[in-house]
Amino acid sequence: MLGVTGLSVSYGLHRALDDVSLAVAPGEIVVILGANGAGKSTLLRAIAGICEGQATGSVSLGGTDLLARTSDRIVEAGVAFVPEGRGIFGDLTVWENLTLGAYSERGRARRAENLARVFDLFPKLAERKRQTARTMSGGEQQMVAIGRAMMANPDILMLDEPSLGLSPLLCKELFQTLSHIRGTGMGVLLVEQNARQSLAIADRGYLLENGEITGEAEAEAMLNDPAVQAAYLGGAAAAT
Amino acid sequence: MDILISGLLLGGTYALIAMGLNLQYGVARIMNLANGEMLVLGGLAAFWLFVADGLSPIATVFLVAPLAFAGNWLIYRLLIRPLVRRAKTQGQLDVDSILSTFGMSFIFVGLMVTIHGEYFTYSYLADPFSILGTTVAVNRLVAFIAAVAIGAAICFWLYRTQSGTAVRAVSVSTEAAGLVGINVERVSAFAFAIGGAVTAVGGTLISTFITLDASMGVIFTMKALIIVIMGGVGDIRGAIIAALLLGLVETAVATIIDPGLTLVAAYVIFLSVLLFRPQGLFGRRAS
Repeated sequence: MLGVTGLSVSYGLHRALDDVSLAVAPGEIVVILGANGAGKSTLLRAIAGICEGQATGSVSLGGTDLLARTSDRIVEAGVAFVPEGRGIFGDLTVWENLTLGAYSERGRARRAENLARVFDLFPKLAERKRQTARTMSGGEQQMVAIGRAMMANPDILMLDEPSLGLSPLLCKELFQTLSHIRGTGMGVLLVEQNARQSLAIADRGYLLENGEITGEAEAEAMLNDPAVQAAYLGGAAAAT
Repeated sequence: MDILISGLLLGGTYALIAMGLNLQYGVARIMNLANGEMLVLGGLAAFWLFVADGLSPIATVFLVAPLAFAGNWLIYRLLIRPLVRRAKTQGQLDVDSILSTFGMSFIFVGLMVTIHGEYFTYSYLADPFSILGTTVAVNRLVAFIAAVAIGAAICFWLYRTQSGTAVRAVSVSTEAAGLVGINVERVSAFAFAIGGAVTAVGGTLISTFITLDASMGVIFTMKALIIVIMGGVGDIRGAIIAALLLGLVETAVATIIDPGLTLVAAYVIFLSVLLFRPQGLFGRRAS
């Protein structure tokens, strides 16, 4: 269980996150909805330990405090993060990217098993092992990024705007993949622009506005909430 | 033919020196202006042990490597790491590291002048040797072979082992490296130390055929910089080709025109690369 309690992040005088609390249980998908600049990326980056701002509050995973840890030790604790723009090693091959994903001790211990799982989920990566990651298409790079994160054998997988730049078909595949990953018992924390598709696979959702959590509900209730529809689902007209 | 062979032999040793700076700048992101002094220290050790104890410079390599590794690791921990932690941007880190390592280079020069203020003159394997009709000194050939062996070992480590791959990952992106569980500080310190050790060993090898003195470090810093920038930062293959090219051009200019113009020639290539291919010979344009 990933627990965030009273998390605040400031960049100098600017407060990007204010007293944010949320939880992600194993085997559930939690989506965070919010406008640009609401602090969604800051939230995930703070949990992953790569946020440049000043963070206070508490982030813990199964009783282990994460906030004081550096990013490599957060991976070791069991939280993997796919940042916006994917953050893969462009100059390295697919194979090198995936094996680096299992660099942590917890990943190394179950490397073969996780590699089989990743290739099962993304057969294309098995075919393209020797390809330099930079030369792949956007969708394939996203597979490398998610596959690499899974190689760390995490309890919680966090993704920042994974559908960005993907075609509608690839988007659909991506969300199917995420619900498949949930099936393995991993918790998934997702930040998405694509509210409709992400809520469709999610269990719960949070609304983040101006750095504060302003709502929390079951994903289905959120899909049917007129206020959420108006703000994130393209208005009532688009709702069916 | 003379120029080709002598130039390639010289270039091989240059490649090793550039590999040292590449590990320090390409991976640890520290522009180390005391790099040349580390090289001269390696040469001083060879001179000293040869003159005092008759120890072969090849044996000295095995002493210099671990000592330089430990010394550079300490320099990183004590002097560089506070700068890395403080720096908010790479630009700020560049300015800080250039100024502090430039200062450090004077400390090294002072220390070396105190130890031995004259030329490090000694003669080791200066016998003539003939390859493909060209006569070269055996020491140049030995230095070249040693440089190739060390360079190949480093390449094998970087491209074929998990820890080497982690080093390359850090050179691509420190943030992404942290996100896969790599301890970026530890890997950077390690790369900096290996880079320093490679440079010092390069100095030991070079001192067998070039007479060094305490103040010559800056010339080698510049040569290494020229090679690294010409080959593309972090690009080992580019650095090797750039080093061979520099060795060839220096030898050609020294033989055909005048030995005094070698540095001029080096800068002419360097400026042309900066003007026409700033990303290096094989580098991609920064996106």
